[in-house]
Amino acid sequence: MHIIYYTLIFILISLPVRANERFLDIQEVKSKNGLTAWLVEDHSLPIIAMQFSFKGSGSINDPAEKQGRSKLLSNTLDEGAGNIDSQNFQKKLRDNSIALGFSNSRDHFNGHLKTLTRYKEEAFNLLNLALTKPKFDKEPIERMKQANISRIRSSLTNPKWIAARIQNDLIYKGHPYALNSGGTISSLQNLTADDLREFKDNYLTKDRLIIGVMGDITKEELQTQLDRIFGDLPDKQKNIQEMPAPEHKNGVYFYQKNIPQTVINISFPAFDRKDPDYYAAQVFNYILGGGGFGSRLMEQAREKEGMTYGIYSSLDFLDNAQKLYISTSTKNDTVPRMLEIIDQEIKRIKTEGITDKELQNAKDYITGSLPLSLTSTNKIAKLLISLQKNERPLNYLDQYKNNINSITKEDVLRVAQRILKEEKINTVLVGKSSQKNNITILKELPNVQ
Amino acid sequence: MTKKTILKSVTVNLVTLFLFCLLITPAVQAKVFNAKTFTLDNGLEVVVVENDRAPVITHMIWYKVGAADEIAGFSGMAHYLEHLLFKGTEKVASGDFSKIVKQNGGNDNAFTSYDYTAYFQSISNDHLEKMMEMEADRMMNAKPPATHYTSEKNVVLEERRQNTENDPRALFNEQMRSMLFVNHPYGTPIIGWMDEIKTYEWKDVKEFYDKWYAPNNAVLVISGAVTVGQVKKLAEKTYGTLPRKDIPKRNRPVLPPSIAETELHMEHSSIHQASFQRSYLVPSYATNRKDALALDILQEILSGGPTARLYKSLVIEQKIAISAGLSYSSDGLDYGSLWIYGKPTKYKTLTDVKNALMIEIQKVIDNGVTEQEVFDAIRRVQDSAVYNRDSLAGPAMIIGRGLTTGQNLDSIENWPEDIAAITVQDVQNAAQKYLNSHSPWIRAPISGFISPKILEGETK
Repeated sequence: MHIIYYTLIFILISLPVRANERFLDIQEVKSKNGLTAWLVEDHSLPIIAMQFSFKGSGSINDPAEKQGRSKLLSNTLDEGAGNIDSQNFQKKLRDNSIALGFSNSRDHFNGHLKTLTRYKEEAFNLLNLALTKPKFDKEPIERMKQANISRIRSSLTNPKWIAARIQNDLIYKGHPYALNSGGTISSLQNLTADDLREFKDNYLTKDRLIIGVMGDITKEELQTQLDRIFGDLPDKQKNIQEMPAPEHKNGVYFYQKNIPQTVINISFPAFDRKDPDYYAAQVFNYILGGGGFGSRLMEQAREKEGMTYGIYSSLDFLDNAQKLYISTSTKNDTVPRMLEIIDQEIKRIKTEGITDKELQNAKDYITGSLPLSLTSTNKIAKLLISLQKNERPLNYLDQYKNNINSITKEDVLRVAQRILKEEKINTVLVGKSSQKNNITILKELPNVQ
Repeated sequence: MTKKTILKSVTVNLVTLFLFCLLITPAVQAKVFNAKTFTLDNGLEVVVVENDRAPVITHMIWYKVGAADEIAGFSGMAHYLEHLLFKGTEKVASGDFSKIVKQNGGNDNAFTSYDYTAYFQSISNDHLEKMMEMEADRMMNAKPPATHYTSEKNVVLEERRQNTENDPRALFNEQMRSMLFVNHPYGTPIIGWMDEIKTYEWKDVKEFYDKWYAPNNAVLVISGAVTVGQVKKLAEKTYGTLPRKDIPKRNRPVLPPSIAETELHMEHSSIHQASFQRSYLVPSYATNRKDALALDILQEILSGGPTARLYKSLVIEQKIAISAGLSYSSDGLDYGSLWIYGKPTKYKTLTDVKNALMIEIQKVIDNGVTEQEVFDAIRRVQDSAVYNRDSLAGPAMIIGRGLTTGQNLDSIENWPEDIAAITVQDVQNAAQKYLNSHSPWIRAPISGFISPKILEGETK
């Protein structure tokens, strides 16, 4: 029986993603009751993947004493719903090979579903139950709290986690982003089923919902299923809070840990994704350290000097604050040289700019690698949701190539000067360093206990 | 914070590779890949998985040589060689390989394991020929500049510090392996021991390279928007010009019997969450396929999610553990290993976790598993076969790994059918044979206990 089923798969293989001139054939689907989803239909495999988010409903809304609330909600929504208890809910998922889960980020509350077509009715049904009738039974809540506390305790062994925790606290001072989105050991213990229910009712609402679907489902069917899955959610979020502006603390901060290699995290404030320099920032980051091999930081620190296994820069566009990060690690006694290399590369790109060849290479990679984001059902569903999170238009990917190709050397130089301001550098070191000048020594980890 | 993975030269251990294969550990599924294959005159085996969902391909070359083929005292050499293969040939300058891939919109990487070393690129399908040309070139013509021997050695030392020396749990795991696989290279870390990595030179590495890197000791796997006909033409033009070599026999040591169980204990000030693990020596797909299939089903029944036996019993019902599971490493050419593990809740000890895990294992040995459990496990494993095809690099990973660890294409393609034949009796027999403390061990299991070290004056 299975053999016949598998053979069918091959006959059905087709070319959904390049069927016409558009880079990706995205359809906007509106349900009867006004829900919207972005869909890429693809019947080549009997798989349906759905990603969705409640925009702005992430851990940014968790107060200090309830840190980890949205995280715990993401852990417990699939632990029993309707009249199905935790074990039976999980068993239904497992028996039908359905991947259903939730996650929180600082800005958003997210969910995902992946199912084989033949189990779709059960999958959509379970997702609807999880979203609208979660049980929040005592046993799974307690179990998930303990799992999170255990995760935090395990993370305390990891210097990269420690460095990130410290840096978050420093570069988002005064803002909820500075808190621990995974909760603290004490805040998790205080959370109750009522906290979760209240958060769910107020923040998982239709006005916040964005949906991306990829795979073996038609537009017409999705229209009906959208209302069936999400239709029962409350319409509007009740109270939208004003957020204070985060303060970016500069300086060098050091946390002592008895390890042979020091972790180095550096951060600068950047600008938001609506900024006209957004595309130039992509090119700038690629050349500085986003591109791995061939990037300036990697060439100098790894290829020329053999000082690290890796050094990367990255841009992080949160809704309320944006950063450029540089992260690496090197053995304790080469930390001063590593900081010197980073400093030199920052100065060089700010003063000399980039070369024609670097510009061309960056454009070729950024535009040429786009099709690699289309290689699985889940990847495409994720792409659909990230476009919507970033409030991009349906044809964004079609314009993207031109937007990147129009960037000039002057644009990149301007971005380098806008972001790489020496007076803004925040540096966090975790390890054993002999350097003691002009550094702040930290003894406590913020928002862990 | 940054979510970039480190490119190039990932040291893969067997456990990591499981994660790559999505749901279930083992190799593969029933004719899902529908792979096509041919062999060049020089002995290079080529496998193609046609899949034109997107206009891209993954191009992977797998060598049948890895860390377990190193000479004693030269640990980490296979991995160091993998790093140096990015350092140029007569035709391609040092470091240019990855840059050329990037300039064409592609990504590349490589990894070393005990029994194989693999290099790959994912890229737009119109660049396949260029990839084949460059990969064929570095199969035999690597010529890293002398200035890079030391700097790249330092990179490897930093890699080891980052992944192992900086984490006492990783150091502990190395010690566990070295006890389980005593006298066998599976007990030596793939990246090598710190002090040995520092000793060897390019001439030693070159000898290893010349000995093992040849078309007739490699498998080429290509997955993506390309036809077998196109691949054949290009493969003949590129790889086809390389000469075959006499490949030496792989002489692997044999594990001596051990009758006494070993326990390792570590208290460490950097540890804040206690954990227990216990490892058993078991067969792999290469050494005993039938039993390996049964162990895969056992793993699914005991550890396939939150409703599986171990989590259900230890975490939900007894509240002894925060997490509990079993992991079967099935792809060794010489041996497999099976690990059970768990983390205690606040009020329980590592010994409580160990005892509770052992009781669950004993239940399988004494009473077996149910028909329903086996039926459900088989169905889930077969479902995972469909998901495994939903990827570009995934099929190439599974096929390449299978073909370099003692399987053939038929056994890879027929895996779901073969696993469907596993019975309740097979599962119980496997448990009795390999996990029963009353049976004579080949290697007795090793138990590892990691716990926080409470310093004086410190409160938890």
